[in-house]
Amino acid sequence: MSNNDTQRTVTVRIQRFNPDVDKKPHMQDYQVKMWPGMTILDALHEIKTHQDGSVTYRRSCRHGICGSCAMHINGRNTLACKTPIINEVKKNNTVTIGPLPYLPVIKDMVVDRTSFWEQYLRVKPWLIPPDDIPEREFRMSQEEVDALHDAEACIMCGACYSSCAVIGLNKKYLGPHALLKAFLRVLDPRDTAPGERLEIVSQADGVARCHTIFNCIDACPKGLNPTQAIETLRKLAQKRQKYEEAKAERQKHLNEPIPS
Amino acid sequence: MLTFKLQRWSAIALLVFLTIHMIFMHYVPPFHISFDVVQARLSTPTWKIIDILFLFSVLVHAMAGSYQVITDFESAFNYRKALAWASVIIVILAFVYGAKTIWAFQL
Repeated sequence: MSNNDTQRTVTVRIQRFNPDVDKKPHMQDYQVKMWPGMTILDALHEIKTHQDGSVTYRRSCRHGICGSCAMHINGRNTLACKTPIINEVKKNNTVTIGPLPYLPVIKDMVVDRTSFWEQYLRVKPWLIPPDDIPEREFRMSQEEVDALHDAEACIMCGACYSSCAVIGLNKKYLGPHALLKAFLRVLDPRDTAPGERLEIVSQADGVARCHTIFNCIDACPKGLNPTQAIETLRKLAQKRQKYEEAKAERQKHLNEPIPS
Repeated sequence: MLTFKLQRWSAIALLVFLTIHMIFMHYVPPFHISFDVVQARLSTPTWKIIDILFLFSVLVHAMAGSYQVITDFESAFNYRKALAWASVIIVILAFVYGAKTIWAFQL
């Protein structure tokens, strides 16, 4: 990458919407001088600090952990803080930024995530541990940890949720984020309510509504696979009773050493 | 979940019946399709049963798929029970009509 490449001026096209003034969203262009390693979030900071203080967006950690800065960048959902601007301006020197789709816009890139959190809470995303908690740690085998497919790494950014075409049509669908969390809890050997969760995800607005479009996988900034999690939940939901029994049996030995 | 299962099971049935249909209609002699050929085939009880089951699989698969797609829309999702009953009635009516047609064939 040449120095000229990283120091050129690029156009940042932002979808603006202020409900107090605008009837509908419109695009506004800003010119930003790039620096090496500049991210989309840096460009937004640059615009907000030096050009237009009214540009509104959420951000917090700037390290791809908090999930606040999920946006629609050049047609795909991703984290602004993790996206180098140089990768996005290859075509016509312009990057287009908008709010996450399918969610009501509060202002500019800030969206109302009420439906996102409502669906999330429906699957009871917290761990429900056994009554007799061991004095030392719960023990999980490597296979049990691997089966979770890093689902605990989800940062709840909403990129998968708002890329899901089913969510675009029906906000009553649980959504990939909630189903991924349900998957995490159902497969967690410490959790005592897999049957209850499998019943919730088996309802008409649960796993059966996923059309395996794979948008959630493309959108996930953490490289997670909600579609595979949904598929696993579908299979487990078919044999819920057997799975519950197997899990109850496993929980009797949770504080025993794992045989090597 | 029942609709989901119905669609998967009917898809497997379709795979079997469609394979039978393709082989016997297109890949074994005589290699031309005419009314006489179809009439001769459908006058045998075995073919009548196969085609009636084929028809049933197609109807279940189509209605389950349509129901799933229609209830993807939130406005329709709120009326899913009524839509489910409507789908069941359509499948029954279409099946009776189709099965009667197939059963009527004779040489």
